[in-house]
This record gives sequence, structure tokens and C-alpha cells, in this order.
Amino acid sequence: MVGTAELKFEAEDAAEITVSGAWNLRERNRSPTDCVAKISSKKSMASVKVRAVNLEAWDSSLVSFLVGIVEVCKAQNSSLDFDGIPAGALKLVDLAETSKAADVQISEKRSKNPLALLIGYLVAAFANSKNFIEFLGETCSAVAAFFKRRVRIRAQEFLVILQDVGVRALPIVALISFLVGLIIAFISILELAQFGASIYVADLVGISMMREMGCIMTGVIMSGRTGAAFAATIGTMVVNDEVDALQTTGFSSVNFLILPRIFALALMMPLLCMFSAFIGIFGGLCAAVIRTDLSITQYCMQTANAVFVNDFLVGIAKGTFFGMLIAIIGCLKGLKCGRSAEDVGLATTAAVVTSITAIIVADAAFAVIFASIGV
Amino acid sequence: MDSKISVKNLDMAYGGYVVMEGISFDVQRGEVFLIIGRSGCGKSTLLKYLLGLKHAGNGKIFYDGVDANELINGDDFYGRKIGVLYQGGALWSSMTLAENVALPLETYTDLSSREIKELVDLKLALVGLKNFEDFYPAQISGGMKKRAGLARAMALDPEILFFDEPSAGLDPVSARRLDDLILELKDGLGITIIAVTHELASIFAIGTRAMYLDVETKTATAIGAPKELLASSRDKNVVAFLSRGTKTPALTSEERRMLLNNPTEFD
Repeated sequence: MVGTAELKFEAEDAAEITVSGAWNLRERNRSPTDCVAKISSKKSMASVKVRAVNLEAWDSSLVSFLVGIVEVCKAQNSSLDFDGIPAGALKLVDLAETSKAADVQISEKRSKNPLALLIGYLVAAFANSKNFIEFLGETCSAVAAFFKRRVRIRAQEFLVILQDVGVRALPIVALISFLVGLIIAFISILELAQFGASIYVADLVGISMMREMGCIMTGVIMSGRTGAAFAATIGTMVVNDEVDALQTTGFSSVNFLILPRIFALALMMPLLCMFSAFIGIFGGLCAAVIRTDLSITQYCMQTANAVFVNDFLVGIAKGTFFGMLIAIIGCLKGLKCGRSAEDVGLATTAAVVTSITAIIVADAAFAVIFASIGV
Repeated sequence: MDSKISVKNLDMAYGGYVVMEGISFDVQRGEVFLIIGRSGCGKSTLLKYLLGLKHAGNGKIFYDGVDANELINGDDFYGRKIGVLYQGGALWSSMTLAENVALPLETYTDLSSREIKELVDLKLALVGLKNFEDFYPAQISGGMKKRAGLARAMALDPEILFFDEPSAGLDPVSARRLDDLILELKDGLGITIIAVTHELASIFAIGTRAMYLDVETKTATAIGAPKELLASSRDKNVVAFLSRGTKTPALTSEERRMLLNNPTEFD
């Protein structure tokens, strides 16, 4: 028999509730909440009696019901009597009523007011900018200290990071760059062939890969691959208190965690950008040889004539800068990570999105600067 | 006696490495059964076998006389009948405390959202976390996380509650409060409790019976009420463990009597 609660008003201000049957939270008990609603709808109630008759079984659903009755009676200052209710259930009702939140409240509840949310976002944005500038300052002073030989980095760890961000990234960089070169060449050939200028596909692919696409594509790949890995690794270290342990042991987290990563990416990114550019040019060559009557020699000669040392140096400079940008953003997001598994995911996502945005913005700035100085 | 869980000749291993051999014991309905022993003896591994997280190759585990392997195939037994409090609480960090407790109720019952909310409020109130419903796990202390984990473990009024090191990492006052809470809930709801612990104060405060897993012989060398084991066990490792620890020599009979009278003094 399913658990039931029947309410009878013995007088205008006196009620008796009879609970019976098997109370099981997996099965719906017959309208127990109605009793609470009906009693609370009364203006005043002098006494409430809860009686157990043929109560076959009980669990939390009965306790929850009784707690509701207790709260209504408290609100109406009415007396409450229990008759035949199991001692265990009454013990839990007592525990639920008397237990107070004893621990210190750590943080405020999240506000749902839109204005408060907007202000919160603005404050957070300001704090993020402040964090970034502080972190940049710390990193610059750590780099300066390194070159003055006041700070050392662990060679073995540095080499491992170098291998991870460099050699292990080659296959994905090669694949993407080859396809980008191929795509640029295919699109260019379609247009240039109409003017009998197919030979200039080598110029287009060479210059675009060397100055722009090589750096941008490598930057995007490394943001998703290495920047995310930096944020996740350091974020997990924050969650496990490893970063705190470093600081309390007297190590600077910037020197220990950040410098090797910045140096590794600053060293490897220009090489990867150049690698990407050459693979992209090779992709363009494949497309040109397949789609036009250009020979390999003609394509290579045309590329050599079109691409100057300046283009090469621009690629190197951008690559180095993008590398540092990705490392700094990845490490910063990791260090500012919260203390839960979800926070690590958020830090990783933020690292990738911020890095890619920063690379595009920086590339636009480079384009303006190089155009104005005529490089 | 009414056995809730029976384990028969269970061998525990990680790959080829044997942790324990021939473990047999019965857990009676409504008792607090403790699995104790030195670090690395296989306490938490045994818990994994009991929870169905590791498959028992050699040996059998029975719940109410039914082979656990059949229960695993009957899918939601472990979700419905068993609650687990993990060492760190293991709360889902993307959910509030209320959502953590509500999820099992939403999954396994047909209750309305209002009824679920009432039950969630009750469970959180029982563990002293009233008014913390909208907090995320990252916003509360370690002790509160354990209590919230306990509220989640109790969400469906399980028949058996498992605890992995319930008092580990808590200050003595919080640990004592959690022990009291465990006893209150056991008495109130009549739950069978199995706990892995090596906290002496907890062992004596809440344990109906304890089983000692011996890391040297790779088997269970003693089962009984903690105070009886301390007073009369002939196994020197058991006595040394229950007295103070394995590196310290066993206590004198006078010290043992003092410990029996006031276990927390020796914590």
C-alpha cells in the first residue's frame, strides 16, 4: 500500500494528520504536500497532531513531509504532537531542524541582478587586464634576470618542452601548411590563367606563405595545441597545489614554469613558421605542376625571384612574437585557473580563444607597421 | 544472522600483482563495518571490488544473497541501493550542491521537481548545509564538501553506504562531527555502513566490527569489535595498529585500558 497522509480538522484551529502505508521516495505518496498547503492556508492553528496508523515502511519521503509540518507549525506558533511516528524518523526530523550551517561562508552567492552582473563583468575585465599587465611585468623582469644570469632554468625540462613544442608539432604543421599552400595555388590559378599569368601563382603563394599564412596558420595550430597544453598543465598544477608548493619552497613560479615555456616557443615558433612557409610553397608547387604547364624549375625560379630576404625576416619576427604571445597567454590562463576540474577546462578554452584573437590583432598591427616603414 | 553482504574467498589483484588473497567476511544488516589496515594493504581496492568498479575474478560477492555479477548486469542496482562517500567528496564541480544531490533523484525517481527540492533541502539540512544549496563545490571548505558528498550519497536512501576514509583530512572536531552524523543517520535510516579508515578515533567511535587487512600475509587476519580486537587479539600487528601504529611497540595493558576508556585521547 502506497504511503498516504490524511488531514482532518477536528476544530477550526485543530488538525490531525494520519500517516499510513509504505512511504517510499521512489513511489509517489498520495498528496502529502496538500496537507502542508491546507494547514498553512489557515490563518491560525492552535494544535496539530500527526498520528501513524498502519505505517508499513518509511524513508526520507516521510521525514521530508514531517519537516514540512514542523516548519508550518513553527510559522503559525501552533503546538505539534507526534503519535506512533518511528523514533528514527523523529530523530532525523530533529537533526534536520537543529543542524545549522556552522562552517564559515567563503564567498558571496552569485547575484542575478543584470546591472550587478554587468558591473561584475566590467570589474572582471579590468582585473584581467591588470593581471595581464602585472604578469607581463613579472615575466619581463624574469627574462632580464635570466640574461643577467641571476635566474637559471632547468636544462632537462627545457629540452623536453622544446621537443614537445617543436619536433612533435611538425606533422600537424606540415599537413595544414601543405593544404593551405595547395588551396591558395588552386584558387589563384583559376583567376591568373584567364590573363595568361599562371606563372605568378608562385609569387602569390611564396609571398603569402612567407609573410602571412605561414605565421598565422602556425600560430593558430600552436594556440590550439601548445597554448592549450600550457594552460591545462599549469591549471592542473594549481588545482593540485603544486604552484603553491613551488612558491612556499622559495621557487618563483614565473622562473620555474613560465620562462622555459616562453623561451621554448620563442625559439621554435620562427622555425615552425619557416617550415610552414616552405611546406606551403611546396603545396603550391604541386598544385601548379598538376593544374598548369609550369615545370618545377620554372616555379622554383619564380618563387626565388619573388620572395626577398625582407619577407623571410618578417616571417621570423612575427613567428618569434606570436610564440611569446601564445606562451604568455597560455601560462597566464593556467596560473589564474580556479580550483576545480571545470576551471581547468575554462582556462584551456580561454587560452586558445585569447591566443588566436591576440595573434590576429597582432598580425594586423604588424601589417600597418611594416607598411608604414616600407618593409 | 542477517547478512547484507557476503564476500567469499575473494582474491584482489592489479594485473599480475596480488594485493590480497582469500578474503571472506559477512556484513550484517544495520552495522558499521570497518575495513582497516596499514597504507597499501588494499583497503580502497577492496572497496572498489565491493562497489563493482573492479570485477571479482576469483571469489564471489553477494548482496542479500544475490551474486554481485548478476546485479552489475541488472544495471541500476549500484545507483539505487548503494551510496558512496569518496575521500574528497567527489562532488561534480559544474553543479551546485543542490544539483549534486538532486541528480540521482531526477535520474532514478518520478518525483516532481517540488518534491525533489524538498528532499534535497532535507538531505542538505541533515548534514548541516541548510542555506548552502546554491553554492558550488569550489566555494566551500573540505569538511563541507564531505558533508555535501554524504548528502548526495544518501539522496536515494540507499540500503548500504560506503565511506572511503571519511575523516581523512578533517580537523578533530569536524571528524568527530562527521562520525556522530554517520551514527545518527545509521540509527535513523537503518543503513548498513562499510567504511575504509585508519583513523583510530573513528574506528572506536563508530565501528560495530572491524576487519584488519594484513599487508604482510596478504589476507584478513582479524575480524571483530574494535575494542575486543584491541583487548584480546593475539595478532601483534592488529594490536600494534589499534594501539598506536605499526612502528610503535604495542601498548602496555594499563595503556590499553586507558585507550578503551577514552579513545580520542590517543588520537
